Amino acid sequence: MAMMIPYGQRVTPDDRTTATRGLMRPRPSGRALRVTLAGLLAVWFALPLVPLLLWSVANRWSFPAVLPTEWGLDGLATALAQGGLPVFGRSFLLGLAVAAIATPLGALAARALTMGRVPAARLVSAILLAPLALPAFVAVMGLTIVLLRAQVPAPAAVLLLLVAAALPYTVYTMRVAYAAHDLAYEDEARTLGASPAHVLWRVHLPLVAPGLARAAFLAFLVGWSDYVVTVLVGGGTLVTLPLLVGSYAAGVGNDAVVAVLSLTAIVPPLLLLLALGRFGRRYPTARFAGPTASRSPKGSP
Amino acid sequence: MLETPGPGGALPTRPRASASGRLRALLFVAPAVLIAGFVVIGGIGVALVQSVGLMPLVGEAEFSLDAYTANADDLLTGLGLSLAIATASTVLSCVIGLTAAVIITQGRISGRVVAALSALTIPVPHLIGAAAIGLLVADSGLIPRALGLTPAQWPDLVGGPWWVAVVLEYTWKESAFVALVVAGVLATRVAQYDETAALLGASRARRLRHVVIPLARPAVIVSAVIIFVYTFGSYEVAWLLGRPYPEPLPVLAFRLFTSISLTSRPEAAAVAVVTTAVALIVVAIGMAALKRTPLWR
Amino acid sequence: MKPSPRIARRLSVVLAAGLTVGLAACSAPAAGDDQQYDSWEEVVAAAQGQTVKLWMYGGDEQGNAYVNDVLVPAAAELGVTLEQVPIADTPDALNRILSEVQAGETSGEVDLVWVNGNNFGTGKEAGAWECGWTDLLPNMALTDPADPLLENDFGTPVDGCEAPWHKAQFTLVYNSDTVTDVPTSYDELLAWAEANPGRFTYPAPPDFTGSVFVREMLYAVNGGPDVVPLGYSEDAFAEFTPALFDELQRIEPFLWREGSTYPQNSNELNELYANGEVDFTMTYGPATLTQLVADGTYPAGTKVLTLEDGTVGNASFLGLASTSGNKAGAMVVANLALSPEQQAAKAEPDVWGQFTVLDVDLLDADQRALFDALPESPVVPSYDVLSENANPELSSAWVTPIDEAWRELVLTP
Repeated sequence: MAMMIPYGQRVTPDDRTTATRGLMRPRPSGRALRVTLAGLLAVWFALPLVPLLLWSVANRWSFPAVLPTEWGLDGLATALAQGGLPVFGRSFLLGLAVAAIATPLGALAARALTMGRVPAARLVSAILLAPLALPAFVAVMGLTIVLLRAQVPAPAAVLLLLVAAALPYTVYTMRVAYAAHDLAYEDEARTLGASPAHVLWRVHLPLVAPGLARAAFLAFLVGWSDYVVTVLVGGGTLVTLPLLVGSYAAGVGNDAVVAVLSLTAIVPPLLLLLALGRFGRRYPTARFAGPTASRSPKGSP
Repeated sequence: MLETPGPGGALPTRPRASASGRLRALLFVAPAVLIAGFVVIGGIGVALVQSVGLMPLVGEAEFSLDAYTANADDLLTGLGLSLAIATASTVLSCVIGLTAAVIITQGRISGRVVAALSALTIPVPHLIGAAAIGLLVADSGLIPRALGLTPAQWPDLVGGPWWVAVVLEYTWKESAFVALVVAGVLATRVAQYDETAALLGASRARRLRHVVIPLARPAVIVSAVIIFVYTFGSYEVAWLLGRPYPEPLPVLAFRLFTSISLTSRPEAAAVAVVTTAVALIVVAIGMAALKRTPLWR
Repeated sequence: MKPSPRIARRLSVVLAAGLTVGLAACSAPAAGDDQQYDSWEEVVAAAQGQTVKLWMYGGDEQGNAYVNDVLVPAAAELGVTLEQVPIADTPDALNRILSEVQAGETSGEVDLVWVNGNNFGTGKEAGAWECGWTDLLPNMALTDPADPLLENDFGTPVDGCEAPWHKAQFTLVYNSDTVTDVPTSYDELLAWAEANPGRFTYPAPPDFTGSVFVREMLYAVNGGPDVVPLGYSEDAFAEFTPALFDELQRIEPFLWREGSTYPQNSNELNELYANGEVDFTMTYGPATLTQLVADGTYPAGTKVLTLEDGTVGNASFLGLASTSGNKAGAMVVANLALSPEQQAAKAEPDVWGQFTVLDVDLLDADQRALFDALPESPVVPSYDVLSENANPELSSAWVTPIDEAWRELVLTP
């Protein structure tokens, strides 16, 4: 699951900016090329979702018909009848739990690292990013037995592994946020007599809120979309949406149910993404908190 | 997945060390480090111990390298296949993603359409991405249906000898990732440089080559490492869209791990150890490449 | 076969208790964690309020629906909360139990597993199953104690380590619209495949169904189950398998995609069949065929192939995990699943269509009426017809060596 979106940050220049730069105005030939490429890319990104949409409203779609031979909502009905709603709820809770743990831990670590007072900072950074380089199945195969022996309940074990998988995202996102975060605001508030709690609540958190939201979203996605950890470490205690998709995909004639469940799995994160975009825009700091803006601070113009 | 700032981090540091400050900093990082460290070191450690026969399912623990040699052929074939799939997916993702990023930062309406559609693929879990690609390009998928081609006329993309559907799925998801990461860099920095270069008379092609690409390079390298490591070690997609032989390393490991024969767990662990070693080497190479990038430091 | 689940309807405690009396005398005590039960009453009492997790293959909509809509409510009436854990493949469950055994867990995540064959045999070897408890179940009295399918599971003695759930018959399925010269033996089937290149294939072992097909072929090329010894030995392997792999290699160029690859599992083969890319599919669960034809997934011309050689039959079971912390509850569920009401409901083609393990001759008139009332399927013949000439399964010790040799000799170019 790869991503680092500068939520709330506009990546396309707005029309006024480009229009005022005479030299930058596109030439007709370049424009044609650009529009063609954009069209191809749009098809590239959107096309795989089309069969999912069609299948989700197809009761019957025999080969080689180009369109469903019988439209209907049987897939949805089956998904609901087979406990789709509680499973959906469970996936959502898992995502929230991962976000609720990994975000504050990541933020704490990031703040300490950014302030530069952590001993062996290189090693610490490397450990925090290492889960990215560890294939999930390796962690699962190794740790299932250890966690079982330690009598860790299955849901807690799943949570632990998923939090570890989410930490690189939250730590990194928050390092970027803290790098752009000016401590002077906090110092000033303190000088003016605000209590530490007050400073945290009224100055510090609001300033890094867009970063926190981004970090939490990424952590949520880790829990929401996981399959391997949930199935092997969870040992069936947690039947989440990807598990249900996996088990239906293992049977013939289930395409409609699989499509409905798949779309259900895509929609909530999309809504969160949209909400994030709006949320980020309300805070002007978001613009400077893009992941890459601070990537090489010394290289900034 | 995120770009990694690299060991040591590239973020500014404020040396204000005091004893209590250090202690506080240590307390701040401790929970995260303990969790990540436990999973990474524990995972690799136990896999290693299992792979050399010291944690058998039944019978006596005894050191042996049998698990590495038992499937030597499968292991080598799997390694080659996994490397090929990961390389193809990484290269294609970077090329398509970089193109998309340039369109996103340059275009107006078309840029926004591409930005929105690529964002759409971000939250799709890979398992579901694989199901979607299957419904699109399998023998009975939407494309051959739309073109009116019979299974005999349509190439074997799913389960075929070239693993096309698997690479397509990875490329689809990961090119969106590259597009978003790189577009983020370009949006913040490219405008000024590009305009300066244009004022100085640089042609469009030269600006692309000398301004846009160098600016994007660090982000592309980091994305490439992340994509490579992910596609090298991921299971669901290759299993769902692949074929029974040869098997990429994670699929081989899974078949052995879930095999009901009792001796195969150490063999699965051996595959896991090999996979991790390759992933770590790739990360090291990526980091070295990153340090050579002029704009990185 | 992936054991399938589902049980319907209410079985009253009264009925269960009544049947128990006769059995209690000969029941072996079941070892719980430390809990031993001497009578069914003790089990029922201990089961109150327990939550039982049933791990089963979840790719079969009818199976899931039967368990959740019929068996779960009936278990609730007996004071047991039953939860289905749908999994993609049965070894996932065994794998979990083995991990728990390895870790010394006594209150694991798995209570019951729909299981048979190699999964059962390997699990038994590794101590994954609780044994000697099925004699306690009152409804075991309704099964034939001499039924070979219930005594041995792929050659492994059942020893009360799993309670019977349904019977199955390996079945080849063809599309009668496209297959006009219908084969009547395995020889003819292979000849048909040769004459119609690309229209036949089988799933790659270790897929369960593909593995059964390869063992069927082992019988076919060697002259039947009377020739091949059911018990495994290296000598027997060396004597009988070369002919098998020669034949499978010979036929390979005529298979789907010229045999350069095989479907990874039975589901992929079913998809190929559903899309008309091949003309045959195969299943150990013919029960689901009726529904698949009715909802249009399979072609209307779908028929069951009757072979002179006969096909193998087996029973599938509910295994009780040795690491379960809810053994009493699991036994109550296993007994409920064996009740005539549940077995008849499960046999209903609209529900799940699984063949019963009960001996109908041992039932009383009311119970027998439940089975007599079952409608006939337009696609699937009755179990009596299907299981004619039924062949016994080879012992599970054969399975892994054959699967591995197949991968090496046939799959690998």
